[in-house]
Amino acid sequence: MTAALECRDLWKSYSSKRVGLKTLLLRPEVARTSRYARRWALQGVSFKVSRGQGFGVLGANGMGKTTLLSVLLGIVQPDRGSVSVQGRVASLLELGAGFHPELSGRDNVFLYGSILGMRLHEVEERYHAIVEFSELGDAVEEPLRTYSNGMVTRLGFSLIAHAPADVFLIDEVLAVGDARFQEKCRRHLQEFRKRNGTLVIVSHDMEALAEVCDEGIRLEMGEVTDAGPIGDVVRRYQRP
Amino acid sequence: MSAHSLELLYLLVRKDLKVRYKSSVLGYLWALANPFAFALVYWVAFKYIMRVQMENYSLYLITGIFPWVWLSSGITQATRSYQNNASLVKKVRIPRAILPLSSVAQEMAHFLFALPVIVGFLMFAGGFELRASWLWQLPLLLAVQLAFVYPIALVFAVGNVYVHDIEHLVGLAFAMLFFLTPMVYPISMVPEGLRRWFELNPLHALMDSWRGVFLSGTLDGGKLGYAVACAALFGAVAWLCYRRFAPRIGEVL
Repeated sequence: MTAALECRDLWKSYSSKRVGLKTLLLRPEVARTSRYARRWALQGVSFKVSRGQGFGVLGANGMGKTTLLSVLLGIVQPDRGSVSVQGRVASLLELGAGFHPELSGRDNVFLYGSILGMRLHEVEERYHAIVEFSELGDAVEEPLRTYSNGMVTRLGFSLIAHAPADVFLIDEVLAVGDARFQEKCRRHLQEFRKRNGTLVIVSHDMEALAEVCDEGIRLEMGEVTDAGPIGDVVRRYQRP
Repeated sequence: MSAHSLELLYLLVRKDLKVRYKSSVLGYLWALANPFAFALVYWVAFKYIMRVQMENYSLYLITGIFPWVWLSSGITQATRSYQNNASLVKKVRIPRAILPLSSVAQEMAHFLFALPVIVGFLMFAGGFELRASWLWQLPLLLAVQLAFVYPIALVFAVGNVYVHDIEHLVGLAFAMLFFLTPMVYPISMVPEGLRRWFELNPLHALMDSWRGVFLSGTLDGGKLGYAVACAALFGAVAWLCYRRFAPRIGEVL
């Protein structure tokens, strides 16, 4: 099996004190090596995810899970180490990150689709499937501000679920809508994997992780403290 | 620029325009009404009340101020574009250089809406005639000004993520530059010794080009060339700056 996603020895720290523009411009070496209190978000994280696999990341708040996804997506640069991803990436780090309340559901689908890297004709082709999946019906022509929270998240998930992607990065958003819709989302993710799609999911929802993933890791203070089949990782996490 | 980036730019600009005008009764008419009211006030104030002893002074103001507003508002808004779209920077992966560009493009769209108003005042209030040369002069100047404004906007936007003082400085700078460029009096009124310093200001070259095209249908090659050269220089600086500082925007913001 070929690796769809691989990261080797990722290190990332955030300095708690902001390095000013002056320092960056005039003394870049100071900015890089300064002894400001640093907090490690990732410490030597390495793992490999094969094509068609589901990969779960566990850990309490502030253990580096979101940083890891941001690095995988390329939003945050690692201090050291490398990431390689094969194919198109779709990400869901925050539902509706590009939505605007004044625009209609339809306009938002096109705008957000483009933000996620889709071409207009790609959104066009999928538009009906997206609206149908979201179960919004005619409300899709109304401005987003008239939607309930559930409707917004449903629209967001439907859009991302139909994005043409080989690798799908999801952060903590499996709790979309009511129980029935959540079930639908999980089914959709399973189908995505059957089509050889790769999933990386960060979540506190152990049950959901166990359902859609094969393998996983546990992050503690940015370090990988456990790895293996997801069932075992979850079990050891719940009963240390 | 890829086809996808162009589409994204189009959607971002359309979003801003829609949000601004959609929920109002007059809708896009406001995009015409605002510049019209603005120009009318200048026309009445300087033609009939404060009668400045300069030929076509009201038109001198009107033809300069609209390109100026595009330039200054475009840069001012672009400076905050990363802060205003923080979730797009931190939560999704888009070509980041596009956010300041969409601010500049949005202000450019407003300038385009104002063009018929400017031409209308030139014809009906000033008795000027439509010029065939505008067909190539106006698109050329539009392109030059876009190429001039965008690098500045990009540098300020990236810089403002690291040092928030920049947005305040930009507001202040444009308030002063409005008088130093100059926009409200002709450069011939500046004392001889100071004038050559004023003429070094590339904003003056650009704004004077607009006035030349509108008022006499002439485009000064020297001034235009100077603006283009400055645009190229800013472009190079902006590219270096963007390459150096943009990758960390996501975590600094």
